[in-house]
Parts: sequence; C-alpha cells; structure tokens
Amino acid sequence: MKPILLQGHERSITQIKYNREGDLLFSVAKDTVANVWYSVNGERLGTYNGHTGAVWCVDVDWDTKSVLTGSADNSCRLWDCETGKQLALLQTNSAVRTCGFDFSGNIIMFSTDKQMGYQCYLNFFDLRDPQQIEDNQPYVSVPCSESRITSAIWGPLGEFVIAGHENGEINQFSAKSGEVLKKVKEHTKQINDIQPSVDLTMAITASKDNTAKLFDSTSLEHIKTFKTERPVNSAAISPIMDHVVMGGGQEAMEVTTTSTRIGKFEARFFHAAYEEEFGRVKGHFGPINCVAFHPDGKSYSSGGEDGYVRIHYFDPQYFDFELEA
Amino acid sequence: MQDTVDRAAEPEFEDEEEPSFSDPEDFADDIDDEELLEDILREKPLEADGIDSVVVVDNVPQVGPERLEKLKNVIHKIFSKFGKITNEFYPEVDGMTKGYIFLEYAAPNQALEAVKNADGYKLDKQHTFRVNVFTDFDKYMSISDEWEPPEKQPFKDFGNMRHWIEDPDCRDQYSVIYESGERTAIFSNDPKEPILVEERARWTETYVRWSPKGTYLATFHQRGIALWGGEKFKQIQRFSHQGVSLIDFSPCERYVVTFSPLMDTKEDPQAIIIWDILTGQKKRGFHCESSAHWPIFKWSQDGKFFARMTQDTLSIYETPSMGLLDKKSLKISGIKDFSWSPGDNIIAFWVPEDKDIPARVTLMQFPSRQEIRVRNLFNVVDCKLHWQRQGDYLCVKVDRTPKGTQGVVTNFEIFRMREKQVPVDVVEMKESIIAFAWEPNGSKFAVLHGESPRINASFYHVKNNGKIELIKMFDKQQANSIFWSPQGQFMVLAGLRSMNGALAFVDTSDCTMMNIAEHYMASDVEWDPTGRYVVTSVSWWSHKVDNAYWLWTFQGRLLQKNNKDRFCQLLWRPRPPTLLSQEQIKMIKKDLKKYSKIFEQKDRLSQSKASKELVDKRRLMMEEYRQYRDKAMQTYNQQRELRLQLRGGVDTDELDSNVEDWEEETIEFFINEEIIPFGDLE
Repeated sequence: MKPILLQGHERSITQIKYNREGDLLFSVAKDTVANVWYSVNGERLGTYNGHTGAVWCVDVDWDTKSVLTGSADNSCRLWDCETGKQLALLQTNSAVRTCGFDFSGNIIMFSTDKQMGYQCYLNFFDLRDPQQIEDNQPYVSVPCSESRITSAIWGPLGEFVIAGHENGEINQFSAKSGEVLKKVKEHTKQINDIQPSVDLTMAITASKDNTAKLFDSTSLEHIKTFKTERPVNSAAISPIMDHVVMGGGQEAMEVTTTSTRIGKFEARFFHAAYEEEFGRVKGHFGPINCVAFHPDGKSYSSGGEDGYVRIHYFDPQYFDFELEA
Repeated sequence: MQDTVDRAAEPEFEDEEEPSFSDPEDFADDIDDEELLEDILREKPLEADGIDSVVVVDNVPQVGPERLEKLKNVIHKIFSKFGKITNEFYPEVDGMTKGYIFLEYAAPNQALEAVKNADGYKLDKQHTFRVNVFTDFDKYMSISDEWEPPEKQPFKDFGNMRHWIEDPDCRDQYSVIYESGERTAIFSNDPKEPILVEERARWTETYVRWSPKGTYLATFHQRGIALWGGEKFKQIQRFSHQGVSLIDFSPCERYVVTFSPLMDTKEDPQAIIIWDILTGQKKRGFHCESSAHWPIFKWSQDGKFFARMTQDTLSIYETPSMGLLDKKSLKISGIKDFSWSPGDNIIAFWVPEDKDIPARVTLMQFPSRQEIRVRNLFNVVDCKLHWQRQGDYLCVKVDRTPKGTQGVVTNFEIFRMREKQVPVDVVEMKESIIAFAWEPNGSKFAVLHGESPRINASFYHVKNNGKIELIKMFDKQQANSIFWSPQGQFMVLAGLRSMNGALAFVDTSDCTMMNIAEHYMASDVEWDPTGRYVVTSVSWWSHKVDNAYWLWTFQGRLLQKNNKDRFCQLLWRPRPPTLLSQEQIKMIKKDLKKYSKIFEQKDRLSQSKASKELVDKRRLMMEEYRQYRDKAMQTYNQQRELRLQLRGGVDTDELDSNVEDWEEETIEFFINEEIIPFGDLE
C-alpha cells in the first residue's frame, strides 16, 4: 500500500485522531501546532493556532463541531472546528497530558501532570454550564497522589473515565463524583496510550512494558495480551476486523544504538483473538508515537517521532487474510 | 553457720586468756568449696589441659645419643612451622629413642595444624611420620568393645544424572539467564520452538556454569556455590566459600575449584579451594594473589594433575592426594605461560630471552618430567599457545621483532605432536593477527588477520607430508572472532559487538561461504555440542535493548528468534564423551541413509502435529473471544436508547445510520498538473 505522507509538523507527533465519520484527521505535535487534514487525500484544512507549548492531546466531539487540545503551556483549549476560532481557554497549574469529550459531547475531561509542586488532577467540566468555563472551575476535580495519569478515555456512556497511570495501573473514575469505581494492575510499567474500540465496549492499552492489552471497558476484565520486544507507544482496535495495530519504539536516547537502517520503525498488526503478529508496515524514520484506525476500518494512520503522519489505505488482500484455524 | 548451741558449749571466757577462736578438732564445716570459691575454682587447671596441644609423632627414626641432637634439630625444623613448640619428649629405651615422640605446642590449634600437615610426611624412604593429637589416643582407647553399626544415612537418590542424554529426539539442553539475572531457565532445543524443562527465580545470584561433561549445573551465591543435576535438577552438593566469584571444574568432573577474593588468611589459605564433588569435602586450600588469568590451576586432560604458575615456578600437584608431584615444584626461571595438552599429560611452556639464551618453548611429559621437545626462538616479543582439541597439534603464535627492524612480525610454529620427535613447521604471517582457532577433530586452522576495515580470513591445512597449505583466503571480512563447530568442518566467522553482529557461515571442506547473515549487535556465538545448531545472542550485559537469542542451523539458516526480557547468557549443556567405540561409529556412518529415513518420517509427523496443535489452540481462543464479544454486543444493544438520548436522538451506531441526514455534494479536487510540450513549434 502506498501511504499518504502528511508533512505539517516540525517536531514529533504526540497524538492523531479521526473524527467520528472519519473524513477528518487531527494531528498535534511538540511544535505547538494542531492541524486538521482531509483523510481521503491528505490535504490540510487548517491549523488551530494559540498554544505556546507542546500539544500533548487532541479530541473532537461526535458531531465534529468542537475540538479540544491540551498542552504543556498549562492550558486546555476548546476550538470551533470549522473556523479554527478559540472558544475557551482553561488555565491549569501544570501541563495537560490527556483530554477528551464524552459520548454526548457535553462534558470534557482532562488530566494535568505532576509538576513543579503541583499534583496530578483529573478535571471535569460541563460545557452546558458556561459559568464553569468562565470561572475555570471544574465541577469535579480528582487528585491523583500516587501515580500520575498518563492517558485516559471516556467510558461507553459518559459515566466514567478509564485512566492509565505511570505505574501501569488502570482506574475507572466516576464522572459524577470522581471516586474510583474499579482498578486493575495488569501492566508493569507506564501506560503510554489507551484507545477505545469504535463501539466503546473495549479498550486497548499500550505500555512501556513491551505489551499491549485488551480490556472490557465496563468491567476492566483483562481479555488479551499482545507481546513485543520494544515499548509500545500506541495501540488501536480495528472497527471491522479482529485486528489490532501497535506502534512503538524505544527511549529517544537509545534510538542511535539500534540499527540505523532507514525506515526500520514499523507498525505491527496482531490478530486480536490469537494474539499472534501477522504483519508489519515500515516507513517511519523514528519511533511511532500514535496509531489510529479510520472509523470504517479501511485505512489507518500513524504519527511518528520524525514529525510525519502517514495514512495507509489497505490493499484488498488485507481484508481476505486469514490465519489458519 | 555454727549453732548457737555449740557456742553455748564453749569454755567460759576468761579475762587473761585469749579466747580460742579455732574450730573444735572434729569440726567439719558443711560449706563446700564450690560455694565459697566458685569463681576461683573455675580457673583451676584441669588435668586434661595442655593435653590438647600435644601431638604424638610416630615412625621417628630410632637413634642413639650421638645422633639425638641432630634428630631433635630436624624434628624441630619440621614441626616449628606449625606453631611454637613449648615442650618435647623423646622416650628412650636401652639408650635408643623409642621411635615415637611427644611435642607440645602453645595452643591446641597449632597442634591440629601439625596433624593436618605433617601426618604422612616422608622424612626418608623408611620413615613416614604419623602424627596424631594426644587426645585422640584417649578417644581410640575408649572405643567400646561393642561395635554398633553406624546409623544408616538416608540414600539421597538424585535419579539418573544423565537423564537428558536419553531424550528420544536427541535434543540438547541449554541454560538461559534472563530478566537481568532474576530468572534462570533450562530449555530443550527443538528446532520449532524451545521446550521449557525447568525455570527458577533467583536460581543463581550472578551467572551459571555447566560441568565439562554436562552432569552438573553450578550456581553462584554469596555463601558459595551449589551443584544441581539429575532429571529434576535437585541440589546435589553445596560448597561453602564466602564471596566466591570464579569456579573451574576438573575435566573428569571429580573436583571443582572455587575462588573468592575475600577469605584469605596467612594461616589458612582460602582464596582458592579444591573440593571433591561426590563427598563435598574440602580437599585443599591455596593462596592466590590475583584472579586475572582464571583458571589459575590448569588441569591435565585426565584430571590426574593440576598445575599453576607463579614467579619462576611451575607447581604440579597430583590427585587425589592434592600434594606436589615429587614433593617439589619446578624451578623455571622467567616462565611466562604454560598449558596442558588436551590429549596427553604434556605441558607446553615458554620462557623469554635471557641475556644470550634465546627464548624457547618446551614440551614436558608428566609424571616423568621428561623434556620431549625444546624449540629455540629468536627476537621474541610474545608467545601464545594454542592446542588443537585432540592434542594432535600445538600452535605457538610468536610475535617477533626481527633484528634490524622496528615492526612486529608473527609466525605460527606448528608442532606435530603425533609424529616422532615432534617436528615443527613455521608459517609466516605478514599482517597482525586478530584471531586464531584450530579445527576440532581435524587438522585445519583458521586465522583472522589484517586491520579493520581490511580483515582477511585464511584457512590452512596441516598436511601429513610436512607441508602446511593455505587452502583459501577471504578478504574484506567483517569478523573479529572464529567459532568452529565442535565436530569440525563447519565454522562461523563473526563480527561481534563493535562490528554489529556480521555472521558468515563457512564449510571448510571446500571453503565455501554457505550463508552471510547478521544478528545486529550480537555479543556471543555458541555452538551446540553436536555441531548441528548455532546460537547467536545479544546479551543485556553488553547491550541494553533487543536482548534475544537466535537459533541457526550449522548451514546458516535462521530457525528461531527468541526474545527474552533482559536476556543475559545462554550456555549449551555439554555432552559426556560418546560410549560408542570407533567401530560402532563407523558402522552407523555407513548405515546413515537407513537412519535418515526414519528420522525424516518422524520430523514430518511432528511438523503436522505442531500445526494441528496450533490450529486447535487458535480455534479455542477464537471461540472464547467470540463468546465475549457476543455478550458485549448484547449489552451494547440494550444501551441503544441511552445512546440516542445522549446524542439528542441522532442515531450514530453505524457510520451510515443517519444517511437520510446526509447531503450529497460533489467537490472537485485538484490532483495533478502535467505539462506536455508539443515539441518545438517552428
């Protein structure tokens, strides 16, 4: 498959996200820029300008009306998707690491890092109450004293947030009260990314302990494990096939000691039920930081440390491929 | 206490006379000494005191008074080595000494030292001392006449110690240390996938070693080493040596030598200890200044002798007595290095130039100490000894600076051990040598020479007709190490560590490159004992990522890549020497075709069995997954109402669920521009 190369960032990509219908792909990077592209041909629609620090996370609501970004400039910003206008700026005490709209698009959550004496907090704002935005007062703010949150997604109906922590723990925080509803510890090292299945029933976690694990969103039951020999930076679940894709690499400082063969950094495809790897896609010049499936499952994208986003449309053979069983 | 009654009976007190305060004559007080003088009594010398420091020496020459003084001097000289002699007694009868004497030392431990070291001392042909502590006599005298059979020790059955050899599929075992030393596992090598035999957490604290015939696995601990074996890897034996860091086995597996830099004292040499494996006894301890060239003690191939080199001295000890062979070491002025032949009890050593005496290499036979061959070498800078695996050849790599030149030139002096008078042939090498290795079981050797990046690999054949022929030279190789198959003929040239793991698989029967491959950053190459498989590995000790071991066939075909978290070390389990006679081996080689057919059939069967197993496993996993998904979908469907509510009635369950709301719009995209020139229009 010949990939579409998106060149719009000058530093490494931190997250990419498709909107619900899949026609738009959002990318954010360490260069303070948030871009939006047409996923069909890679043409750039526009940029959301305003952040003054690395942008760590991005999310778009179900209706593709608003965009949410979180950055190291200690702010979480809300934008109008179509015009690019900044709608709200929520100041924080430390970098915003992960953010997201809930299923209804009415409630946003974001987590802040443990930095400069400030703890890690998980904040909830109700967008239907403009006072909260104006006063920068979340209706619930949950402190995380033990291990900071490194990645988080909403549950299927907006009742809780599934958060992954630096120590490998996964917690379910109630969106109403902020209390911990469930917790599991299956990973042994930091969770780098969590992504939901398209129907939000499952979540896949990518961890520094060289594995990705599949969980049931509601019960947090551990269903599958996918093993590699490198830290996994991101993982995603195919909407239409029993496949998962994973991207990873190693610590930036160790990159020079691996084989410097060009394009060695690969996205790896595993069979979701058999936990076996069946394919790899080369092309990135550095570790892959984020992967995402198009909601129709016919293509996927990856964003790398090299600052490129690559959109890949699958060949017909991909859909026919079967492992003997 | 005296009774008041008695007091009343005393004579009346008179003014002039002094009262008598003495006890009445028949008074016996009923206070015993223990009560009054307990603390002093404790220090009362016991009859037995002092006897613990006395030794009895038997088989002392019986001499008359004229030689007594001399005898006493000799005895004194020998025995004062163990401590201060405070007393001596030479019983006599009829003017001659009886033949046994008593010596008293200042402390009991000195007496014990005397017993330990002087018992068995050969004064001369007729007199070998027997030394015992005096208290032992008491012990032996008081042995009851009734003999009680000793209590039966429960038999520690370790099972069949050679169990792994009996594997019907002839799989060799190997040990793997991973998780940076936390876990050690033993696998059985199957070309499809390694089969786990045993795995234990914290089995060893640093690394492991196999014994030379594969019977034992040695693990290291702060307090000493432990040996494991048998089918279930039970603990066979334990040797306590605080802080042990290095070990070595005798080739026969009867003894193990441990080294610890910690516990050495002047009186009790404990740096190096030699143990008897079967009994667990400490046989002998030695001092050791530095462990830089471990093993310090080198064993002869049959385990009968072990030797070590110290300044100007070569000390050879014999087993099982652990005493110096012929009671004295060899004085070899300037000795630089030595090694035993792997095939015979011959030591090769070399001494550098000394004024007008040239440097020379000497071959000496043991136990006779006969010099079989001496070879003079001129203008020598350094020598290295390389024995061929069967002891058929010795190669001495000689670095020389020829007279009148500045540079260093290398020669290989090849000693033909199996020929009469051990003739020596010389091969001159023009470039600096990186590596040298003999072919096991054969008469070829491989040399890596040159300077990076122009490194060459040369193969030589030592022929019977006195010639050494250069068979082939490969130039511009990425290699810094040579690994021959233990069976000979095949070998791997590897560029380890800094050369990024370049591998070349060579068949030396016709010197062809069978395969060129790479295991990026490989740090080690290990052949299995049969020469069928090669393992290349990236150890966590040298490189912190991509730790794994890869399995190849001897021809260089990659079979497996095994990633192990923080993989450290893989060691193949050695095999004991074959029990087949040469005749039997010949017969099997003749009928090889017949055997091949049976094995091939077996292989094919196991292949299909493996795929069937895999297929069954997959089916099961898919069933479980489907069940889970079905349940999840049920819940999902039940929640549909809630979802519609949350999104204001808009159905978003499928991508095209709200297709009626869609507007169709045709947009033209600018894709490409192509300018086609119509040629030059005149």
